[in-house]
Amino acid sequence: MRSSISSSNKAGSDKASSDKAGSEKVGTHESVPERLTAADRPGVAQPVPERPIPPRPWRAMFIVALALTLLLTGLWEWRMRKLGLEPGDLGDGPSAWAEQRRRIDTEDVAVAIVGDSRILFDTDLDRFTALTGVRPVQLALEGTNARPFLENLAADPNFKGLAIVGIADLSYFRKETGLMGDALNRYRYESPAQHISFWLYRDLARVLGFLDENYRLSKLVLRLDPDLRAGVKGPYDSVWKIIVNADDRQAWMWPRIEHDDYLREHARVIWTGLLFAGPPIADDIITMTLATTRKAVAAIRARGGEVVFVRPPSDPVLRAIEEPRLPRAKGWDALLAGADVRGIHFDDDAAMQGLNLPEYSHLTRACATVFTDAYVRRLVQLTSRLTLRADAPAPLAPHDCLSQATVASAQAAQ
Amino acid sequence: MVFNSLTFVVFFALVLALHALPFSWRVKKINLLLASYLFYAAWNPPFVVLLWLSTVVDWYAAQRIVHSQIASRRRAWMLLSVIANLGVLAYFKYGTFLLDNFRVLMAAAGVDYQPPDFAIVLPVGISFYTFATMSYTLDVYLRRAEPTREFLDFALFVTFFPHLVAGPIMRPTELVPQFEKPRRASADQLRFGLALITLGLFEKVVLADGFLAGAAELVYDGARIPGALDAWAATLAFSGQIFCDFAGYSTTAIGVAMCLGFALPDNFRFPYAAIGFSDFWRRWHITLSSYLRDYLYIPLGGNRHGEARTYLSLMATMLLGGLWHGASWTFVVWGGLHGFYLGVERALRRRFSAYRPNALALFGFAVLTYVLINVTWVFFRAKGFAKAWLVLSGMLGMNTAAVPIISAVQLIIVAVIIGGLVTTHWLMRNSTLETLIARTPVALLTMVWACMAFAILIEQGSGNAFIYFQF
Repeated sequence: MRSSISSSNKAGSDKASSDKAGSEKVGTHESVPERLTAADRPGVAQPVPERPIPPRPWRAMFIVALALTLLLTGLWEWRMRKLGLEPGDLGDGPSAWAEQRRRIDTEDVAVAIVGDSRILFDTDLDRFTALTGVRPVQLALEGTNARPFLENLAADPNFKGLAIVGIADLSYFRKETGLMGDALNRYRYESPAQHISFWLYRDLARVLGFLDENYRLSKLVLRLDPDLRAGVKGPYDSVWKIIVNADDRQAWMWPRIEHDDYLREHARVIWTGLLFAGPPIADDIITMTLATTRKAVAAIRARGGEVVFVRPPSDPVLRAIEEPRLPRAKGWDALLAGADVRGIHFDDDAAMQGLNLPEYSHLTRACATVFTDAYVRRLVQLTSRLTLRADAPAPLAPHDCLSQATVASAQAAQ
Repeated sequence: MVFNSLTFVVFFALVLALHALPFSWRVKKINLLLASYLFYAAWNPPFVVLLWLSTVVDWYAAQRIVHSQIASRRRAWMLLSVIANLGVLAYFKYGTFLLDNFRVLMAAAGVDYQPPDFAIVLPVGISFYTFATMSYTLDVYLRRAEPTREFLDFALFVTFFPHLVAGPIMRPTELVPQFEKPRRASADQLRFGLALITLGLFEKVVLADGFLAGAAELVYDGARIPGALDAWAATLAFSGQIFCDFAGYSTTAIGVAMCLGFALPDNFRFPYAAIGFSDFWRRWHITLSSYLRDYLYIPLGGNRHGEARTYLSLMATMLLGGLWHGASWTFVVWGGLHGFYLGVERALRRRFSAYRPNALALFGFAVLTYVLINVTWVFFRAKGFAKAWLVLSGMLGMNTAAVPIISAVQLIIVAVIIGGLVTTHWLMRNSTLETLIARTPVALLTMVWACMAFAILIEQGSGNAFIYFQF
């Protein structure tokens, strides 16, 4: 059948002359197409296009296709939940970050956290709030250098609070911004469409588990290849899902990493074999990092703000790679001395020792609460900007987040 | 907003519902116009002013052309429209490019000129809607089209959201008549439109973004040196990516318009089945190539003034066509290569006019065409000449320090998708999608439809912009 909008046909509208932009017919072998287009009608007014509807039982096809799609999607959702994806894991991204960052423009933000994935995973915002009465704005980003984001805060006259800068030394002492560098651009300009899509996605993610960037069809297919081609580090060697996100960008380790040997070992191999391995950090990068940090800290202080650095834990296996590339004396200690700033290093606090780091780099959800408890209690000693609430919960200790088996194993190792 | 976004899903559902309500046709057109402005403003609200500017200038200029009896005045109003549209395009799209090149020229002359940093933001789709609106005054001037009776119809022609930001580039005679009488999609049109949207989004979200973009990015955006396998795989992947991206957009746009009861023209006709480059340009981005032919190549003289002038017109058209795609010399080279191919093809045709190739030879010419098209894609995709040369030398097996880049599974995916794509184009080269659908068993069609929809959902997509938005 023809739709009512058809008005042209090949017999009636073919007024083709030979005057075309190099579009002469290809000799005599050129057969006539079923439907003419503007390419076949040079130099004339183009008619209303024809769009015939193929004679098919569209109603039945639509109903069955819709039912099949819903059925397949339902089965997929069931399968994804079996794999550990849960509704309420809201994901992260530039829009989520920009939303939090804009709070500094409109609210009197007392505490903001910038940093990489360690301070992101290892900070329990609820515990922080319960201890101090202040809920920080979480601006740390996984796989991303904290320095450009500290500089961004330093350049913002609206920010006069406490900046907690959580660093993994090798992430902070580098030139590159890293994985989520475009978050700053999204903060500077986010289109209304991007903003609305972000809201809609977040609401859908509250009820659907399969909406997870790491479990997209193409990623699942590409990760099937365990580097079959010699010399190639492919999608198999990228960072897979390790994070779960909730409101306010509260993040913690995906529980499956704690229980699934294969996924945990995969993450360990990526950290130790690929992302953290490398030559020592060059002196010029150290010099540049110290200089830009000093400047950023000074700018925040000049407005009445304050900065404290935090170094969350990493496993001794990873420390054995991190320390030779950037010894604490050249990195962390020089940073604090150069910027004349206070810092909390997990090495220096007994309450931060022996916590559970399943994949060597990030704490379990339970241990993140213990670590937050420890570093906030230390923080209130370093700055008068925060005080412990009178009704603050009792201090936690490492054994509060470790299973009996883990504690026994740790004691045996000692 | 982009078609592959959650915002668009909600927007389109509301527009469809609004369009189905029992309002007068005039109210429905106003609704569509406001929805189209909203569609554009959802990217960057202030740039709606540019749309209004183009609309008002061209409406007024066309009115003056119609009412002027003196040829010089008609010409002056036409030129005003062209200058206003191209001026806006030049400022926003080519301002930085022109300044940078002026600085280089000055430096070559020994003058240290530092242009001011304007940081011009490119309004999305500006090349598309300026061409569409300009075609109105040009068609009225050339007496190909009657002037639109109602300003509302003209404004809707310029702004109609399915074609607004990435085409198909509409001519007034294709769309304005559709606004003159009430239209509402039949139930089957609505369902077929939804099927086309599914197909278009499948091409974009699953094939282009999900499975092909990665291989191209590894080589074109990475720092490693590609060998023959990687360079070819990346370039073939890009050939599929850009087709699926742009044809996917066009198919979605056609489906969206159909759901509202309107018809948009074909923009692609299985281009990778082209035998020769003139054939390619009758199949690839048809509404642009025919636009350039009608409003540039023919006015430049076309083939009416001898061979030399024909070759010059051809090359000028393709160079400007290249520049239309982006403010970069790599796009100019891309267009120049196509102009060169077309010129060589024309010369060979004249030299061997009696030659009638057999089926095998035709297949060979088709393969040769596809290979040479891929060479042009290198300049289209590379962000600079250094990278383009590196990939080209890789394709020729001349990179001695090459390292493997693309994983085995990605190579297999590229081979399967590109093999399937080119085979489909070849089998369908003289047919249409509608004919294929009419001949395919209903059960199979339904399964394919459901599987494509399911694949879109589980690929999720991340709202990546269509490649042609930047143009």
